[in-house]
Amino acid sequence: MSIPFKLVKFIEILTFFLIWELLGRLRIIADGALPSISEILIKFWEDRNDYPEHIFATIEGAGYGFLIGNLFAILAGIIFALFPWANKIFRGFNIVVFSLPPIVLAPILSLTLTGITPRIVMAALGCYFITMTATYIGLTRSESITINLIKSYGGGKFKHFFHVSWFRALPVILSGIAVTAPNAVLGSILAEFGGGGRWGLGVYLIGSLGRGEPARLWGIGIMATLISGMAYLVFSILSKKYTSASKSIDTSNSLPNGELASSESYLGKILIVLISFILPFLAWYLFIILLKVPPLIGKNPFDVFAYVFLSPNHLLTQSKLILALSETIPITFVGMFVGLGTAFVLGIGSRYFTRIVNFTMPLALITQTMPLVALTPLLVLILGREYSVILWITTSVTFFPAFVNIVQGINLIPKSALEIVKVYGVSKWKELVIVIVPSTLPFLFTAVKLTAPRALLGVMIAEWLATGTGLGNLMNQSRGYLDFSMIWTVAAVSVALSVLFYQLTIFIESKLLRSYNFYTDN
Amino acid sequence: MYPNEIMKRREFIKFSIATSTIPLWYKNASAAEPITMQAAWINDAEFAGYFIAIDEGIYLDEGLRVNYLSGGPDVIPESSIITGKADLALTTPDTTIKAIVDQGAKFKIIGAQYQKNPIGVVSLKSNPIESPKDLIGKTLAVPPVNVISVEAMLEINNIERSKVNIVPYSYDPTPLIKGEIDASLDFTTNVPYTINMLGEQASHFLLYDFGFTIYNDTVVVTEDVLKSKRKQLVSWLKTSRRGWEVNFKDPNLYPPKWKDTWFKGTGRSIENEIYFNNAQKPIMESPNGIFSMSEDDIAKNLEAIGRVGIKGKREMFDTSLLEEI
Repeated sequence: MSIPFKLVKFIEILTFFLIWELLGRLRIIADGALPSISEILIKFWEDRNDYPEHIFATIEGAGYGFLIGNLFAILAGIIFALFPWANKIFRGFNIVVFSLPPIVLAPILSLTLTGITPRIVMAALGCYFITMTATYIGLTRSESITINLIKSYGGGKFKHFFHVSWFRALPVILSGIAVTAPNAVLGSILAEFGGGGRWGLGVYLIGSLGRGEPARLWGIGIMATLISGMAYLVFSILSKKYTSASKSIDTSNSLPNGELASSESYLGKILIVLISFILPFLAWYLFIILLKVPPLIGKNPFDVFAYVFLSPNHLLTQSKLILALSETIPITFVGMFVGLGTAFVLGIGSRYFTRIVNFTMPLALITQTMPLVALTPLLVLILGREYSVILWITTSVTFFPAFVNIVQGINLIPKSALEIVKVYGVSKWKELVIVIVPSTLPFLFTAVKLTAPRALLGVMIAEWLATGTGLGNLMNQSRGYLDFSMIWTVAAVSVALSVLFYQLTIFIESKLLRSYNFYTDN
Repeated sequence: MYPNEIMKRREFIKFSIATSTIPLWYKNASAAEPITMQAAWINDAEFAGYFIAIDEGIYLDEGLRVNYLSGGPDVIPESSIITGKADLALTTPDTTIKAIVDQGAKFKIIGAQYQKNPIGVVSLKSNPIESPKDLIGKTLAVPPVNVISVEAMLEINNIERSKVNIVPYSYDPTPLIKGEIDASLDFTTNVPYTINMLGEQASHFLLYDFGFTIYNDTVVVTEDVLKSKRKQLVSWLKTSRRGWEVNFKDPNLYPPKWKDTWFKGTGRSIENEIYFNNAQKPIMESPNGIFSMSEDDIAKNLEAIGRVGIKGKREMFDTSLLEEI
């Protein structure tokens, strides 16, 4: 039984590469801008002496960031799960960290930090939110039955945490960590690309861009993919191992525990929201103060406010911003919709055609770790410099986290639910409508929350690399004008926009999931 | 980090082969004063003169220990001198002067590496763009940070900005080769080589030759550093000039030597650097020596950037250090 299955898999992989090879060799895509696999490998062999130091430097930056980011994330996740008030206070901070668009952050970090710290910070920030959320969700999803059980034996929430939650949360946390691997690698590469260091795949990339040799660029991209792919693999194998162990404990879906929210006074609630709102600004302010960034370069929230509303040129500034926003916002919504739609359809489809996962995962991973700047020529040649290129980049940026989340959601559907419909002999279509779609909905919304800021990022990258419009372009032109105020303003506006998208999702989620009678925790 | 290592290696070699000069070397090294320079881009032939001055001990002989910082697309060289990461930076004069005027940055330009800005419009011979007029109705890819220079050039040549389709350029010539864009803005000392390699012929013109008469890689310091490290800056100018002179004696000589040091793993080929090094010779050399800034040229710089509304002044250039060499 197992041998033919392996054979099928082998043939699948072979077909994948054969098609690629043919597309490249026959110069079908964009007149040969997509190199064939063999061309990439030959180039890679020619360049073999260049790679080790670059790979090592990237692993160093990404590795430290991955470790630090995930460690902080798990700690934070535990704290937030144990102390709901901490979660509420840090809510604004967490969302902002998640919403920081890397392309906005990279130049600011290389302005303010030195050495490989920008790389580590970029990588760590790429990991923090996902693992923190995974830890938090994993820990708080613990069943009320077991809580009551432990309570009846005289145990508190800490006991429950150590005995039950941790065990159940582990697969979710591990799969969260797995997803962060590409983020860490890409974060480091982005910082390397612009930051002026001597080594790193990003440095290699910037030097190679000018050669007009797609095979080299793909070689670098595939190398980045391999590094993050390996980290992804290790943690998803671990995650799967623990999933099968904990799946055997089959309990009903958890119910809302709204007691915490209602126990606070009206005033308390306002206070928490206020602190949560102020905290990110405080962090921004402290970042500038503690790093002693000279005032000419580092702009604090007050400076940015003054620049946009009070300075003599504030009308010009505002009109620039409004023009950029009017170009960026509409396409972001479309991009988000397309990216999520694709992920949802393929994610649900993967339940029925497991091969979808086998085929999409490598492709999705490449889009995650392949620095988009390397793909720009290919993309503009195929798609031009209009909306389609923005949509494609945005989809590719949003797809992966959404897809992983939805597949994870399907894997976590309680066995009992699936068995019941099986017993009743329900058709696959009915099973989809009754069980699968509703059970994946909470995961879809997690996916939406994860992708909303990324959609904006995707649009900004496309604007920066291909179309020369909107916020992405404004950011880069401001660098040419040495307009530090505008750089910080665009950064602040793009973060504010991401947060807005995020909040909007939560609003819709709470409305929609309530009608499905699901518990959502935010 | 690496330049330092190379210097250490060099000192070690000196140490091991010339034992008789130990006392002298020791004196030199201990007396050497550190100075940090921020380059404008990753390691390539654009900075050959400095690599020579480091490798051949030209700096050290004058009592300078140069710490070299590579640049990159996100590195704003001016910001390195504001934060104090570097003492001097190689910049584009239009941005530097705009920063002085608009942001009140306390910068002084103390020298100019390129007498003529190497930035130009590069196109294919098969679809040649040989003057600004040819750009009308065409698509030109420009790095976002250089849009200001292109706008100036168009303005000087009385071409409406809206007549040229400007799109972002991300340093990859593929879209140009494939005809997706008609021209790109880049270093004319560099890109034509790549285009030849890819089997096409390049056609190009310098923005400088069409009225945008500015320097490039201007040597910029803050007023504070100018006061506190004036002596080192003068000797940096003097020794760097010597490095460049050695380089231009035979532009083909040095690039191959750096295959495993400065140019290792930059992703660029040595042949490309040789082409670059030869091409930059005529736009760097000046009868008054490398880095020179004549009154006439300064006036031209101010006039060119004045056309896009940047009101520079003569006092932003300090030629007194060059006079002390």
